[in-house]
Amino acid sequence: MRFTIFQESRKGSRKVNQDRIAYTFGRDTLLLVVCDGMGGHAGGEIAAQITVRLFIERFQQEAKPILKNPLKFLQDSMLRAHAALGSYANQFSMLETPRTTCVACVVQASHAYWAHVGDSRLYLYRQGGLIGQTKDHSKVQYLVDQGIIGADDVAEHPDRNKIFSCLGGLVDPVIDLGKRTLLREGDILMLCTDGLWSVLKKEEIATWLTSTPILKSAPQMVREAEQRGGDEGDNVSTIVVRWGPESLSDLPSTTITETMGLGEFQTQIDRTLTLTDRKGAQRDLSDDEIERAIAEIQATIQRYRK
Amino acid sequence: MAVTNQALSGGYQLLNYRIDRQISRGGFSIVYRAFDETGAPVAIKEYLPSSLVLRTEGDIVRASSAENLTSFRYGMKCFFEEGRALAKINHPNVVRVLNFFRANETVYMVMRYERGRTLQQQIQMRQDQMSERLVRHVFMHLLNGLREVHTHKLLHLDIKPANIYLRTDGSPVLLDFGAARQTLTTSRPKLAPMYTPGFAAPEQYREPDRLGPWTDVYGVGASMFACLAAFAPQAADARLQEDHLVSAKKIWSGQYSDNVLEVIDWCLRLDPLERPQSIFALQKAIREIPPKKRKLTFFGNLKRKLFTEIGA
Repeated sequence: MRFTIFQESRKGSRKVNQDRIAYTFGRDTLLLVVCDGMGGHAGGEIAAQITVRLFIERFQQEAKPILKNPLKFLQDSMLRAHAALGSYANQFSMLETPRTTCVACVVQASHAYWAHVGDSRLYLYRQGGLIGQTKDHSKVQYLVDQGIIGADDVAEHPDRNKIFSCLGGLVDPVIDLGKRTLLREGDILMLCTDGLWSVLKKEEIATWLTSTPILKSAPQMVREAEQRGGDEGDNVSTIVVRWGPESLSDLPSTTITETMGLGEFQTQIDRTLTLTDRKGAQRDLSDDEIERAIAEIQATIQRYRK
Repeated sequence: MAVTNQALSGGYQLLNYRIDRQISRGGFSIVYRAFDETGAPVAIKEYLPSSLVLRTEGDIVRASSAENLTSFRYGMKCFFEEGRALAKINHPNVVRVLNFFRANETVYMVMRYERGRTLQQQIQMRQDQMSERLVRHVFMHLLNGLREVHTHKLLHLDIKPANIYLRTDGSPVLLDFGAARQTLTTSRPKLAPMYTPGFAAPEQYREPDRLGPWTDVYGVGASMFACLAAFAPQAADARLQEDHLVSAKKIWSGQYSDNVLEVIDWCLRLDPLERPQSIFALQKAIREIPPKKRKLTFFGNLKRKLFTEIGA
């Protein structure tokens, strides 16, 4: 496989980044995952983190050397993540199950397979035109389908954040599977969270990504999206893959997997992190916490005393 | 007249330690020399932020208001971070924490007492320039300590001559981990960062997400620069505006080996990616410097051999 890959997750103006993104690839297969966690406290981050990790782990267990059935892998992983979030909430007696959206894509034997839940999206561009995309599981998408509002009204709609399918929700997730699509050299796969697609139109994204090397334009695009988000800006995350050897740039940016050993994987998990909330950091220490901190330091001193 | 916190007086019995005298006073603490029950000297750091006046007499620290108490407790976290950071490290070139306890409504950290002076004092005292041999000796050992710090996934973030202590035998000890941060954990630095102009790397001012070993590398380079110049290099935030820093290679060419000068310049690159990316990389670069070739007489050679053998 030859491709160029870029991923970035930025916090925007939010206090925490609840988005998690990751990719991993072996010699003959590639997995991309983007999650946008939801819910109060650390819930959203936890949900997104658990889901991304579960995808990566299952992928590395099952891709030996390729997945037998990529669509089934995607569907099963989504369901397992959903179940895992439920048991996590149970284990820690959380009032609210951590929830997350998820869009994931597998590329092997030059074919792309994808699945999604919620409103994180995948766009597939060929020669500047959009030839494939996911359809949000959201209230506004329903309104669009019914012809009640136009596609351009989605980004501004007050209910645009309301989604009816997610992992970790009360009801089982609705999982949409994309049909197997043969990729051509120069095709661009882009996965993103709503922080990106709500501020950049599909056509704009096409302009950003199809005329310049993605390693140059994609970071600029993410920054632009973060800026447009302004003071209320959401977390912005994306993974961009340009299929085939890079032809727009002289710089060596193409990932070549033929030289990798069988059973070997390269993985990149990105989080602009924080499991601390700022409010918590401002809170002063209780007597109890002071005692515990001292006990912990004492114990450490003892342990490292030679 | 400004009111300041009162230090504990000589002879004060703090648990099993007897306070001898105040050694230094910083923004967040007072350091004392004290003796433990066996009569051995120790250094005790008392958490007492100078911005809050909490003790004008006696020994008990009292917050004058609820707001004061909140700030006081909040800052205490920083002190715990330092304790946590140091407790894990047992290395001859890193200050050793011996005990940590609560008393007088504040917290105390007991450290091994070292005899000597700070590199800062050493720089200020000297009339002539520091020799290359001394600079290399100090920094090679210091980097061993710093490497140990990084191995524990900690960054020091305040490397400067005032935080490098030279024992009487010439070996350095890295002090003051008040700014140290646990890296590679899921939490970002929780407290307002501190930086020392001239020694802090540019990313410490602007991009806390980009802190890494290379950030301490900048501090090392700046400290080496200060050893040669007897002043700190231009502050990094100012350098980002307009870089007036003249390269070490230009200033001291001929007085020090090219390689030492090149290493300093390398460490002081504004772009974190252009600096040595790890302490190991930096040590390797310093090691690669060929020793000055001098024609040695038979006795000179013998003397050198003896010196190497006795480790002088």
